[in-house]
Formats: sequence, structure tokens, C-alpha cells
Amino acid sequence: MDLTKYEKIFAQESGKYLKELEDLLMQVEKNLSDIGLWAEIHGKVHSIKGMARALSLDKISELCHLMEEWCLKFQKGKLMSSPAAVQTLFDGSEFLGALISKNGRLDSFEDQKAYDSLISLFQQSPPEIFVTVPVPQQPLLAAHSQPMVASIDYVRIRYAFIEELLGLTQEIQLLSKRFPSFSKDQMSSGLKNWIDHYTALMKVLYFQLTQLRLMPVGDFADMFRKSIRNIAKENDKNIDFEIIGGEIQADITLLERLREPLIHIFRNCIAHGIEPAEERIGKGKSADGKITIEARSEKENLYIKIRDDGRGINKTSIIRHLKEKQKMTDEEIENMSEEDIYDTILSSDFTSSSGATELSGRGIGMSVVAQSVDYLGGSLTISSKEDIGTGFSIKLPLSLSIIYAIIFSVGRYTLAIPTLNINSIDRVDLSSAENPESYYDTRKLMGIAGEKINYVTVLSLRYAADKAGFADEKPRMKLIVDNVIGNRPLMILPVGELISRIKLFSGIGIMENGDISILLDVDNLP
Amino acid sequence: MKLFVFKSKDEFIGIESDYVYRIIDDLKVTPVPLTPESYTGLLYHRGELFDVINMRLFLGYPDEGSSETTRIIIIKWLNKKLAVIPDEIVGMIWIDDNSENTNEYYHEERKIRLMKPDYIWKKLSELSYGPNKI
Repeated sequence: MDLTKYEKIFAQESGKYLKELEDLLMQVEKNLSDIGLWAEIHGKVHSIKGMARALSLDKISELCHLMEEWCLKFQKGKLMSSPAAVQTLFDGSEFLGALISKNGRLDSFEDQKAYDSLISLFQQSPPEIFVTVPVPQQPLLAAHSQPMVASIDYVRIRYAFIEELLGLTQEIQLLSKRFPSFSKDQMSSGLKNWIDHYTALMKVLYFQLTQLRLMPVGDFADMFRKSIRNIAKENDKNIDFEIIGGEIQADITLLERLREPLIHIFRNCIAHGIEPAEERIGKGKSADGKITIEARSEKENLYIKIRDDGRGINKTSIIRHLKEKQKMTDEEIENMSEEDIYDTILSSDFTSSSGATELSGRGIGMSVVAQSVDYLGGSLTISSKEDIGTGFSIKLPLSLSIIYAIIFSVGRYTLAIPTLNINSIDRVDLSSAENPESYYDTRKLMGIAGEKINYVTVLSLRYAADKAGFADEKPRMKLIVDNVIGNRPLMILPVGELISRIKLFSGIGIMENGDISILLDVDNLP
Repeated sequence: MKLFVFKSKDEFIGIESDYVYRIIDDLKVTPVPLTPESYTGLLYHRGELFDVINMRLFLGYPDEGSSETTRIIIIKWLNKKLAVIPDEIVGMIWIDDNSENTNEYYHEERKIRLMKPDYIWKKLSELSYGPNKI
């Protein structure tokens, strides 16, 4: 019998159980005697064991069995758990993950050795004193009161599969564009209607499929919980992790590329920002540090801010660096904004200098983080307050998010501006306009030659023409364009490396029919 | 080494076949303002965006427009991607890696110029983009 199919299902299912197991272990770590949680942990390990047994994956089932015995003791109150015991279960869970990915095989001597030592550890009694706790009856009853089979609300699918589906749908759409021409006799109105209907549905299907590429930032941030916990343990600290704005949706590819930079920032916050418990208590802070990740979207950008409540960044060594290495004068430094001073630690020049060491490592590797964010078409800024904490703000193109935009043409180019940024669309006679030179001619900007036309289409923007952002009280910028195509939903992709050099476009919009329009960055018009 | 060969004007250009991701006949390329002449525009194919380069113009020859036989070659290498429009696709050839001149190869008396994607990218990066482009 070919077990490959079942092994795949096992790998998928147990991956889900392991993730849940780790979340539960993190919860129980904060409340070691929570018998209900131990019952759930036991259940997860038991499920993996059952599946492994069915597939004769003995190494996995043996490890699960021993882990399960520990859980059972904590669950029944026969033993009181300890941080060391939870850590051992974490190690067991991690090893299970590796073992499952290798179909239960121990390929090397090192793997075998690690497995044996873990097994011998679990064969011993959990590292804590034996205490007698009354055995509660409730958790088991509670577990049985839940429905035996839950309804299926979600399914797990490969990301590459979504890409394949998108590709296929797009090809079908293109096929409809190459529809052979028929004479009137050949094409009945009924057939034409049917084709139009079919094509319209394909467009909708494609657009809906693109939504599959989005995931809530909260789910993404959740993936860091365990790493944050582990880094905190390495540094002998306890950290609370809070997610704000987790419901904001962003492109999976974009988030995936943020994984490394974020882990670097978290490491930096934990290792260098958050003080040891004694120091924190001395400052009147809680013993446990706190890291917050906050997401919000504005215009076509995604903003992610990571804050710690640590000691902040000491400006003295940055200023010393600016004076000694950058040869800046006191006056020049005084004229720098707080933001610019802190952003100094993002330069490779600072990272490699003694400044980083003086700041207890706060600058180490930060230039790499800044470069990674820059590569994604985003920016990173730092803010800090002594003894209050440090914030790392990342601004990114929301990428693949769906926005509504006014699509318009200028010469042979199709451009777009988010509808939110448009105040009005008017037809204006420049010959009788009050202040004709106040209109911004996009044709001229695009280098399009042509006769001067008096009667033009004008897009009035909500924002003033400076970089201050929202400034409705200032004069609205008025753009002269050729034709307005309409208000359409766009899927936004980041501009590539070459187009980003133009410094005038903030994203590439894909329309429902697969056509492209280029998002004009009105804040950056020359 | 396996080379994917195409022709632009009278030049035969070879690209390592491993880098060739796909050949497509969808010529729906969207022009982008303020780009160099050889930058034809953007192509959206199977959920990805590609910068499309006209190889004739890139090599410094005048453009002669596209025809029914024109194809787009999509190249992917490392973390980069690009699409190029040649005049004609010649096909695949196998060449001896031990040749002294690693930039030029002769195949059936044709001189084939080996072009690395990084070289094309570097040349494109050196061009001028934006309102002040030369």
C-alpha cells in the first residue's frame, strides 16, 4: 500500500497540532498548575501519537508516548510542573517537528544521539518535587461536552497552489481576449450574452482568488510568539507580547520577507532594550518587559510599529559618533531632528563602528534590517525615550491589498491615484480659469509633447502638494490629465527596483481584467 | 552548458537555459513613463510583474516594431526577474564549457554572444530613470 498520501496528511495535520501544542505550552508556562491546559496539551500529543502509530512511525510515537506520560501526571495533579519541565516539553515538541519533516527517520548519528538523550530525559520523572493535588473531575467532563466533530470552516492549502490557480485564471481571461471573430450569422445574441457573462464571472473569480494571497498581520505576528519567548529565556527575561491591529490584511509574500528583519528587531529589543527584572523593578516598572507590534494601513501603505518598554537609546554615543566619525559640528547636530539622530544607528557606518558597541549592541545589524525594508520599497525609522522605550516604525507598500483608485490616462500611459486622495474630478476651461498656472500638467511631467488644450480634465487632490500628509486647509493640488477611465478596484503590487528609480510611483495596480495602471505618488511630484 | 539563443538585429545572443523561465506570446506590455527607451514596459503574467526590455534598443539598434512571431522571454535568476523581447528565437544549443573565450561561442559558423542576466540588469541599472532622465 502506498503510504505517501497518508504521510503527507500526517505531516500537515501534525504540523497544526504542534503549533497548537506550542501555543498551549506558552500559556501553561504562565500558569503551571492549570489542569485544563495540561489536558489540552495531553490531547495534542496524544493525537500526534495516534497518527504516527497508524503509520508505524515508531520513533515519533515513542517520543509522544513519553511526553504524554509527563502531561498526564501534571494533568492529574500527581506532579506539579516546573519551568524546566515545560522547557523539556518545548524541546520535545521541536524535535517532533524535525522528526515529522523527515518522515520519522533519524538520518545521522547526531540525530540519533539527540533523540536518545531526549528519550532518556522523558523516561525520568519530571524535574520537580512530588506534590499531591486533589484530582479534579471537571476537565474530562468538560472535554466530552464539546461536539465530537467540529464543522470545517478552514482548509489548509499550499501558497504555491494559490499562485497556480491565479495563473490559470489569468490565462483563461487572456484567452477570452483572443476570442475568434465571428460573423453576425455565426454569432447569435444569445451566444454573445453567454460569452459576456462568462467573461465577467471570470474577472470576478480572478479578483476573489487574489484575496487568497492576503493574511491577517495578527496571524503573522503570532508566529513570533515562540521565538520571542525563546530569546527572552536566553536572556533570562520574561516578555509579554501584544498585537494591535492584527486584523489588517497584507500580502503573504511581503510578510514572509519581513520575517528576518522583524526577528532581528525583536532580538534587539529583548537583548538590549528591555532591562533585567531587578533593574526594571528599581525603576518602578513591572518585572516583565513588554513588546507591542501594531499594524495599521493608511493610503496604500502598511505601517508596522514594534515598541519595547525598555531603557531607550542613549543619544550621547550617537552624538559622539556623529562628531568623531561624521565630523559634524555641534550646530549641525542641534539642527538634526530626534528621528534623524536615532536613524543614524541604521547606517552601515554606525553598525560597524564603536558606536554600536557603546550602545550595548543596539545598532548591530540594524543597517541590514533597514536595507531589507528598503528592498521591499519601504522605510524604517526609530524613535526612543530614555527609560520609556524604543519604537521601530516600518512603512511598507501594502502590496496586493485591494484599493479603489481613479484610473486615468496621460498620453499612452495608464495611471491611478487612490480614490481616497481625490476630492473632485472636473472639466475646466483654462482660458477662463482664475489661476491657470496653479494647475499641474501631468503631460509635461511625462514628457509628452502636444498642443496646449484649454478645456481639460482636472483631478483635485485631497492633499496639499507638500510632504506633510493630510493638510486640507492648504491649497489642493490640481492635476491636468487626459481622460478619466473610472473608479476601479486595484490590486496593488510594489514597484520593482528599476521603476522605483523614477521616484514618482508608489505601486503598480492590477485591474480586474489583468490590465496594469501605475499609481502616481502625489506626495513626490517634482 | 546549454544555451538558449535568440537573435536581435544581426546578433545572436545566448543566455544560460537554466535562467529561462518561460516563453510567452502575450504581448500585452504596459508602457511606463519616464523610463529609458529600451524599457518597453511592464508585463503582468501569472501573478507576477516583469520589466520588459526591447533587446534591439538595449543593444543600440533602432526598433522595428513587433510582429505575429514576436515572443517574450522571461528570465529568472537569483532573486531577480526580467523579460526581454528579441527579434527571433533561434533555439537551444549545447556548447563546450572549456572554450577559452567565455563570452563568445561559435555554433555552425554563427558567433553567439553569451549574455549573463546580471550583465543586462547592470546595464539597465546604469540607465537614467525619472523626470530628469537623459
